[in-house]
Amino acid sequence: MITRSSSFWVRWLLGAIAFFFFLASGRALGAAGLPTLKIHTLELPNGLHAVMVERHDAPVVTVEVWYHVGSKDEQPGKTGFAHLFEHLMFDGTKTLGEHFSDYIVRAGGIDNAYTTDDATVFWETMPSSNLPVALWLEADRMRNLDINQGTLDNEREVVNEERRQRFDNPPYGTVIEKLYQHAFTIHPYRHLPIGSAKDLNSATLQDVKEFYDTYYVPNDATVVIVGDFSLEQAAASIKKYFAPMPRGTHSISPSIPVEPPQTAEQIVKLVQNVALPAFVEAYHIPADGTPDSYPLELVSKILSAGDSALIYRKLVYQKQLALQADSSANFSEDPNLFFVFAVMNNGRSLAEGEAAVASVLDRLKDRPPSEQELQRAKNQVFFELAQDQETSKSLAEQLGYDSVILKSPDLINTEASRFLAVTPEEVQAVMKKYFVRRNMTLLEVYPNQTGKGTLNSEGGAH
Amino acid sequence: MNGNSAVRRRAVAGVAWALVVLWMGPQLSAREFPPTVPPPEAISFRLPVVQQLPNGLRIVLIERHDLPLLTLYAIVGRGAEADPPNLPGTAEMVADLLPEGTKTRSALQIAQAIDQAGGTINTGAGWDESFANVSLLSDHKELAFNLLSDLLIHPEFAPQEIERIRRQTLSALDIVTQDPSYLADVVLRRFLYAGTPYAHSEDGTPEAIRHITRKDLVAFHAQNYMPSQTILAVVGDITKQQCLALATRFFGPWKDRAADQPQPAIKLPVPRARQVIVIDKPDAVQTEIRVANLAIPRTSPDYYALTVANQVLGGPAANRLFEALRTRRGLVYGASSDLKCYSAIGAWIAKTSTRSAESVKATEMILDQMKRIRTHPISGQELETAQSYLVGHQALEFESPSQIANQVLEMLMYHLPLDYWNQFPQRIRALNTADVLSATQKYFLPDDDVIVLVGDVSAFKKNLKKLGAVQVIPIAEASRAFPKPEKGSAAYSESGE
Repeated sequence: MITRSSSFWVRWLLGAIAFFFFLASGRALGAAGLPTLKIHTLELPNGLHAVMVERHDAPVVTVEVWYHVGSKDEQPGKTGFAHLFEHLMFDGTKTLGEHFSDYIVRAGGIDNAYTTDDATVFWETMPSSNLPVALWLEADRMRNLDINQGTLDNEREVVNEERRQRFDNPPYGTVIEKLYQHAFTIHPYRHLPIGSAKDLNSATLQDVKEFYDTYYVPNDATVVIVGDFSLEQAAASIKKYFAPMPRGTHSISPSIPVEPPQTAEQIVKLVQNVALPAFVEAYHIPADGTPDSYPLELVSKILSAGDSALIYRKLVYQKQLALQADSSANFSEDPNLFFVFAVMNNGRSLAEGEAAVASVLDRLKDRPPSEQELQRAKNQVFFELAQDQETSKSLAEQLGYDSVILKSPDLINTEASRFLAVTPEEVQAVMKKYFVRRNMTLLEVYPNQTGKGTLNSEGGAH
Repeated sequence: MNGNSAVRRRAVAGVAWALVVLWMGPQLSAREFPPTVPPPEAISFRLPVVQQLPNGLRIVLIERHDLPLLTLYAIVGRGAEADPPNLPGTAEMVADLLPEGTKTRSALQIAQAIDQAGGTINTGAGWDESFANVSLLSDHKELAFNLLSDLLIHPEFAPQEIERIRRQTLSALDIVTQDPSYLADVVLRRFLYAGTPYAHSEDGTPEAIRHITRKDLVAFHAQNYMPSQTILAVVGDITKQQCLALATRFFGPWKDRAADQPQPAIKLPVPRARQVIVIDKPDAVQTEIRVANLAIPRTSPDYYALTVANQVLGGPAANRLFEALRTRRGLVYGASSDLKCYSAIGAWIAKTSTRSAESVKATEMILDQMKRIRTHPISGQELETAQSYLVGHQALEFESPSQIANQVLEMLMYHLPLDYWNQFPQRIRALNTADVLSATQKYFLPDDDVIVLVGDVSAFKKNLKKLGAVQVIPIAEASRAFPKPEKGSAAYSESGE
């Protein structure tokens, strides 16, 4: 794959989708040339899980705490709560006041958090002697968070700024949000983790306290530790700081509606203040870890990983229709979407781009990929999986995702074989099964140029 | 699919152990503060192998054998600052075209080769550097050296590839000039570094991109890409013998040429009265804000004190700007500042973005913080926190071989002493609050700064004069605020105030 990393269109495109796709490539394999990791797990009586991998190549440790609550657990009218709550977790505890970050900073560490559809993740990377400090701090805010009206009001404003900065202000910033609103009818993936400003503005102190009591409990949490530490000491610290906490008393599994199969193609047209036309095709795909997810991941590589991949070669290189064209399987805990998208070059129409994508997809439906094409895709997946193990942080991400979302803490050691076993015919089969018009939502973005177009700002779905 | 039995067995054993701890463990009320731990060990940084080929190419090797990966980073010591004055964007276009064809390989053949090896090629131009990286599965070692040397030494600059990249660049410029954050950075650069080779966007302007010819590209490559100005970092699953053999075979034939006359010394701009530039984007819901002063080149002795000052004011992790604008007021999502140090010039830049109506207030709060840090010494505790962050954080900067390579490349590129990283902790710890104060008084000049706002002026117009004399430029004319393709500091004066 060739990227011109300092090239700004690549930066821009990655920026536009980065927040959204944060965990999209979350996968790992553990055969054929990758180290087999010794993965240690632990479960406390209060339901807290821990997953640990020791690595002593650098005096650094990463701690992640995964709460199995994301935007898909939010009820209608309360969207954005999981993410708002992520912010509140930095605003102080009854025990320590607002000094959480002092302990991270003084150690030279870094910390942050993120919220996806499926989970909320808090992490610290620290010089390794600070492991007990990180665990203490995480345990403290799991139990003793100081939630008050002042911090709630403040974080609400901060999140509103985040929304403006990431979605409302940048070109194409709201495209993905619109797409999900149309592609899903009842499943909560139809709203993004950022939620709606209206819902956030109506959140009460009682609401967020309830959210904390329900989800920020040991039986909803998984602690991941990777790096330079001793297993015995880490286990002792986990028990010392987390075991005294009682199990949560609320039910943490709301029933999430199952999205019915799509029965007809949808086309959504947007007019936005952008320079170039763009389109996104979204196809419903099954959940991560299902058998079809492996050939589908390889499909995304065959289509768009690298300049010799089919979509890039056709749209960007040969026909020069598009500034950028890409595809991505957004796997998650529940069935999600596979995207194919392109930003057209100046003077090129959406119809030309869509026709070119259709011809590429048809080719893979009509005949399976060549052995060489498939091997290339497997090598690319393998390369990414190796890269995921380069730092304690990237490896902790993998282990957390595998443990919490896929319920297989040691998947990293075995998943390679699942990719390597995929046959050309299996690739063709998933192409035929999922890449059909009735399973697709097409979103087109038209530039709002003066004197052009009379489309409504959000044309109805057909 | 609930894990396998081995996992379950471990989990069950864990539960039994946990029960014991639970009964014997301390009560929650006993803990009010995090445990005290020993300070991090100082990182003893061992300089990796550095070899030089007869043609002057320097090679840095950092081995790591547990993962089947190999990455080659090549840094050429000239970037966008070497763009011809009338053709900003040349260095970037040269770098973009490196993987688009050589004397013996087409763009598609290069793409097929790297994709088949599972890897990536990454090229670009920054300031003081252009780079080309090849990363792939380590059973393709020879291919990595072969491809990287070919695209660095023998790029073809084929006319049809030039036209393709030109077209893409023009399309991309169309998009990013609608992006308030991008615009703010470009406009700031143009005013802050006015009169120096650092005042344009490395991406170029539409006008320049249209006019760059194959001859310009070939000339830039010939003048700036040479082995004696290049550092190659080799990272990953390869031995020293393999590395040197492959480097000699593929990079050995690269002919060095006599360096040009030394670059004329840059005339540093003299701080002048505050300049406030506002780009009016009526559809913006948020204003991008930049406040900046010229500061120091990377090798300045003031680097350490200013690094500490920046750490307190707006550096990574907790800082005064974040505290004031976000934690206390909820005005912004992010607020930070950066010390950007190039070989000949540098700047201190604060950045944030806020809802349109609060644009002026947020800007004033940044200015207040600049004033405060230069009139009152930072506290002893702030100093100690910043010092211990900077020293402790070194462990994180050197965690993976790729991170180590990047640190070493920075050291070599800026001609820092070879013991630089080992000296760094004591240099930082030697500072006192008076040292930091004198650095802030020298470089944080709130009355002589450059302020750029990109947003909907109608929402903050009435407060704008609080910031001083302002020039407002409609977004349709924003290119007026871009560097004109012409020489020297004339670019500054014609914009007026």
